[in-house]
This record gives sequence, structure tokens and C-alpha cells, in this order.
Amino acid sequence: MRNSFKVLSICGSGTVTSTMVAGKVKEEMEERGYTISTNTGKPTEALSLAQSNDYDLIVHTSPLPGGEYGIPTISSVSCLTGMGEEEFFDEVEEALKSLAK
Amino acid sequence: MTKMFYNAKLDADSYMDLINKLGKQMFEAGYVKKTYIDAVLEREKTMPTGLRTGHINVAIPHTDVTHVNESAVVVATLEHPVNFYLMDNPAQQTEVDIVFLLAVNDPSEQPVLLSRLMSLIKEKEILNKIKKANDNQTLEEILSLKME
Repeated sequence: MRNSFKVLSICGSGTVTSTMVAGKVKEEMEERGYTISTNTGKPTEALSLAQSNDYDLIVHTSPLPGGEYGIPTISSVSCLTGMGEEEFFDEVEEALKSLAK
Repeated sequence: MTKMFYNAKLDADSYMDLINKLGKQMFEAGYVKKTYIDAVLEREKTMPTGLRTGHINVAIPHTDVTHVNESAVVVATLEHPVNFYLMDNPAQQTEVDIVFLLAVNDPSEQPVLLSRLMSLIKEKEILNKIKKANDNQTLEEILSLKME
């Protein structure tokens, strides 16, 4: 079964908040037994990055522009606020599990 | 260690007034460029940084690394809450009590700072203590332990 995934973390500036979230997602998913590589970007880049086939999953703290992303997109604000954080990680893991099939 | 600035019970009329006041401290100390304040304000309009924690709401205004000379964080608690728009719902406002204005010059070199800040925002008891701090020294005592 596939175990290694690429996660794209999106925030407004494409650097600060997305780096915070990417680190947290990597840490938590690696504890759950997955190998994660991450990259960060801005909402305006998200669609073209998603369509580049380089990523398996998007997590985002700012809203994403509309479009056909073709990969799961999950809001990651809970990673910053702690409110619903466990549910967020469970949702990410569920998405990884379905990608692994 | 990252430079921290402390402002207990600051009086500000709006998030714009607040960012101007706090950004000025970093600019005068040389941590950010002249363009920093306008860049933060501009970003806040389209990509706001208010966060609802379910308890004490916070905001983490910041901007692109190009406007920053050296990483620093300004912490402010407010005499009266100030409205910020929400990061995950930019059409909606929330009353914010604690603000962390971030100047980050290279996020990849700041993982410790950023992850400590993230854990801090999630700790209700610490946020409560920060909110109640009456002077800068108390604020510094609470935060220096958490951020070092």
C-alpha cells in the first residue's frame, strides 16, 4: 500500500501560516505512520499547482478560489485555533487512506 | 532568540490603527522595512488573519518576507477588543483581544518560533493569563517562558 504523500499547504501570504500548518500536518501524519512531504503556496497558485499532478492533497487556511482541483481540499484553520483539530487530522488521514487504495 | 515586543492593554480604534502602532515599534527598532506596515494592512484587506479559538479570539497579522529585515513578534493585549476579519471567512468580523504581529524573514528558519506560537494560541489558560496581564512586564514573564 502506498504510504508516501505530498501535501500542499495554502495560506494568504504563501509562507508564514502555511509553513506553520505544513509542519503540524507532517508531524501528526508521520506519527500516524505516513511519510509526508510538504510545500506551501498562495490561494492564487493553488489551482494550477493542484492541476500539476504534483500533489495528493491540499490543506488551506484562506478560502480557495473556485475550480476543479481534482484532489481533496481540506480547511486547516483548526490547526491554528485548536478548535476541531483532531477532526481535521482524522479527515486528512481519511483522505490519505482513500488515496492509498 | 526572536525579538519580542510587549504591549499590555493597548488602546486602538481599529485593526488599522493597531497595526500602525505596533508596526511602528518594529520599524523604529529596524526589524522591518518602511513598506512593512502598508503591506500588512493591504494583506489584511484581502487575506485577513482573525482567528476564532472558541474562547479568546486572536489575530496574527503578517506579510511577505520581502518587507522584513529580521524576525520579530509584537504581542499586544487590548484595552477594548478590536474587530478583525476572519482568516477562513474574510466576509465576517470577530472581536479580537490578543494580537501577535509577526515579522518573519524566513519561515524555514523559524519553525520553533512558529510552532511555539501555534501551541500558545491553543492554550486557553495561557491566553487567559495574557489577556489579564496589566503591564508589559507581566506579559513578558508569561510569554518569555513560552516562546524561548
